[in-house]
Amino acid sequence: MKPFSAFTGLTSRLLLGSAATLGLLACDPDNEPAPTEQPIVTSTVFVVNEGNFLRSNADISLFSKASSSVTSKALFNSANGRTLGDVAQSMAVQDSLGYIVVNNSNKLEVVSLAKFRSKATITGLKLPRYFAAASSAKGYVTETVSYSGSNGRVSVLDLKTNTISKSIEVGVQPEKLLVAGSRLYVTNSGGNTVTVINTATDAVEGTITVGDSPNSLVLDRDGKVWVLSGGKVAYNADYSVDYSRTTKGSLAVITPGQLTATQREVDSNTSSPSKLTINGAKNQLYYSYRRGVYTLGIGDATLPTTPLIRRSFYGLGVDPQDGTIYGGIGSFTAADKVIRYRSTGVAIDSFTVGIGPNGFVFY
Amino acid sequence: MRLPHVWNARPRWWLAGFAVLSTQAGAAQSLSPPDTLRLPTVRVAGLRSERFAVGSRRLSLDTLALANYRIGTLTDALSARTAIYLKNYGPGQLASITLRGTSARHTAVLWQGFNINLPSLGEADFSLLPVSGATQVDIQPGPAGGTYGNGAIGGTVLLSTETPWGRGWRGAAQADYGSFGLRAGTLEAGFSNQKVAVRTSLLYRQADNDFTYYSQEARGRVRVRQENAALQQASFTQDVTLRLGQHSEVSAAVWLTDADRQIQPGIGTNNTNAQERDQSRRLTAGYRYVSTRHEWAARAAWFEDILNYRDDVSGLSESRVRTSQAQAEHTWRFASNASVRLGGEAQHFEAQVDGYGAAPRTENRYSGFTLFRYDPRPRLQLSLNLRQALLPGRKPPLTPTAGAEWLAWQAGAHTVRLKANASRSYRAPTLNERYWRPGGNPNLLPEESFGYEGGAVHVLDLAPAHLRLQTELTAYHQLVDNWVQWTPGASYWSPRNLRQVRAQGLEASSQLTWQPGAYRLTVRGSYAFTQSRKTKGATDDADPVGRQLPFVPLHTAVLSTDHSWRGWQLSTAFTYTGYRYTDASASEFLPSFPLLNASVGRTLAVRPGWKLLALAQGYNLLNLDYQSYQNRAMPLRHGSLSLRVLWR
Repeated sequence: MKPFSAFTGLTSRLLLGSAATLGLLACDPDNEPAPTEQPIVTSTVFVVNEGNFLRSNADISLFSKASSSVTSKALFNSANGRTLGDVAQSMAVQDSLGYIVVNNSNKLEVVSLAKFRSKATITGLKLPRYFAAASSAKGYVTETVSYSGSNGRVSVLDLKTNTISKSIEVGVQPEKLLVAGSRLYVTNSGGNTVTVINTATDAVEGTITVGDSPNSLVLDRDGKVWVLSGGKVAYNADYSVDYSRTTKGSLAVITPGQLTATQREVDSNTSSPSKLTINGAKNQLYYSYRRGVYTLGIGDATLPTTPLIRRSFYGLGVDPQDGTIYGGIGSFTAADKVIRYRSTGVAIDSFTVGIGPNGFVFY
Repeated sequence: MRLPHVWNARPRWWLAGFAVLSTQAGAAQSLSPPDTLRLPTVRVAGLRSERFAVGSRRLSLDTLALANYRIGTLTDALSARTAIYLKNYGPGQLASITLRGTSARHTAVLWQGFNINLPSLGEADFSLLPVSGATQVDIQPGPAGGTYGNGAIGGTVLLSTETPWGRGWRGAAQADYGSFGLRAGTLEAGFSNQKVAVRTSLLYRQADNDFTYYSQEARGRVRVRQENAALQQASFTQDVTLRLGQHSEVSAAVWLTDADRQIQPGIGTNNTNAQERDQSRRLTAGYRYVSTRHEWAARAAWFEDILNYRDDVSGLSESRVRTSQAQAEHTWRFASNASVRLGGEAQHFEAQVDGYGAAPRTENRYSGFTLFRYDPRPRLQLSLNLRQALLPGRKPPLTPTAGAEWLAWQAGAHTVRLKANASRSYRAPTLNERYWRPGGNPNLLPEESFGYEGGAVHVLDLAPAHLRLQTELTAYHQLVDNWVQWTPGASYWSPRNLRQVRAQGLEASSQLTWQPGAYRLTVRGSYAFTQSRKTKGATDDADPVGRQLPFVPLHTAVLSTDHSWRGWQLSTAFTYTGYRYTDASASEFLPSFPLLNASVGRTLAVRPGWKLLALAQGYNLLNLDYQSYQNRAMPLRHGSLSLRVLWR
């Protein structure tokens, strides 16, 4: 089993590819040793090109690590002879299948990773955002439903029939989600909570209060869930930011089984941290903040104050094999670029993809 | 330059298209289409602004050219009859013009001399401008800021109404029935004697636009029915001109348009049941006093533009902009071959736009101008126009426009004229660019451009054979600086003066008219090569330089024919729109498409003074599956029938 995307793929790999991990998460993780890891090998990077809103020009670019080049700029279109859809929000992997969430086409496209042929289209979703699988039979997708401030939902997908089996109401604007053991963690970015859902019963176990506007989360090697919150941006009447009321972003840690989190705030409310990502060893965190990429170890006592990379990215990914950092530039006007950096922050090279690269899946 | 769409053998009709003080000996070149060929004995007329636009190319669509589009919009007429690319989001949906490689914000649209671009967006949606609102549409490509003011960078579209005198009562009614639920009707009535001229025009049309198109889906290539694209549209025009004695006149005009459109979703995108209501109320009144050497004119206008949009995801967004403006000018013909016009313009905008916050935003803009026309020799015409605008907190540069035309060669049936024109132009930041929240940038500089063009016009006039062939070739070059671009910032998009764009190209057109007897033929062909590229950019402008701008086709062409014979008429219009890149890196593109439309009709004189015209029109006769704008479906082959009753 290969590892996949920045967080969902890794999660899947960890949880499903390793029986040891499943056992680990069923127990109190504090007393468990770290699972023994098999070396992670990735050969391919799927770059999710979001595309322009309403123009249905989203697609996936295929980057070959061996040749350091893009072997297909619009992989879905060339494999299937049709457009992927409008606004590819994210992609995740389960078994040998890719699940591409096409936000403004209200669908998921299921593709075989071998040839990227379309296997199924899951429809009936309302502004879907992110996908995570609990098993090869069951997946979850967050849905904004509406931008009116009302609650969003998580739909339970039957991955055998590729249909929606159930919808679960969560908080406002649910974003990234993560399966850890028998629990699903959902960030409610319109509020300050993470909804915890039991993946066996699909019942809501509770909500965990974190910092304002949680947007991303990862699972570390100790089985802890790290949640990054952007902070709530308050506006003046003229839509300039009111920094007196804007809250700082924060990084929270949740111990599975508990409905509480411990959190640390970033130093400034002038920028919202986002795109929390973890390396292959699951002990080093990365996130975007203040027009840069910051990193810290899971055991670090304080948050970093200087960036690893001084550049802001629309999409951020870390290759689990070697820690290579992928940053996607989102101009939304031209074919965009992805820049690669060593784990030290030194630039390696760049390559051209489609419009608005917002995420990476390593396979 | 004016393209006649009627048989008109006056050899010098096209000089500049200026109307003159016909009471003073019908002097010189009169020029407009047939209405004015029957000049009344008394007439108050001034110098048209085109008289000061020497050396520019000009395309005209007069009543006859517009005849097949009476229930349509300018989108329909311009797309079918010119080589101008209108980026069209679907039938009846948003259509924005691209003149000479610039964006829609760089085309000034003037109605009765006033700019009617939406002040919020700084551009006009040509699908909201019914053809029935004007009797004459002129397009002057190229910069002419000195002559036409703000935004005349890529070109200017002039909508006007010819005032016929001494024609008595006239009227027409028309009903149309077409594919995809098209139902439309127009009523036109007019009266004029030597004292008063009145014209009323009323249009209503609706369409379900539930056409089918092909879509490549997982189950294969399927025919899909378009959803959420229905529209209702109405237009009312009232023009009144009243002569006060021999020298002066007052005039007033009202143009009301109302469009209630569902917004056609993109192919494969979430249908959010988007709907847009656009209403424009345009009122203008003016007074002119004309003496032998002087002309004084004052005009005022009040516009109200409403744009309310709603969809299921973002709810309702309302926008209302009121524009009050006044123009005053004095023209002095100080010699038989020289005239000068001095004038000023003031505009006051009051915008109540949800995106700008609760309080209304107001803005004042002013400009003063001098237009100078001098014909040093009978074969040489010169014009020099200067305009200085004042914008809030900003003063754009002085914008001069200079032009020359020279009758270089005249031998037998041949004439060759050379023409040249250079212009500095400007565009004021739009209200959205300044005030939109978040992102609006009140510190934006006006865009500036400098462009020039040169060309030649050859006319072969074989009067004995009733054949006339006119060919025109124009080359142009323009640099636009401080080009405004919306770019993503840390949390929202914002417009900035980011780049310089160079637009250059060639335009060729030819028109043949031949009337050997009862049969009359007009053939028009034109081709445009348009190269428009970013040449320089600010550091935070990520788009590459040296690539063709998105949605600017390199090649466009049109070939149309009009035949008439003893009450029968047949028209064909073939347009070719070349590929258009969809991104600034010029890597993805929309394929080129040819479109063929045709119509056949018969006019019958049913009784004295009454005529009946039956017309069948076919569109996209090649049944092509195409997209004008990315991811918006267009209908396959379709048609309409119309019946028109004309009285006098």
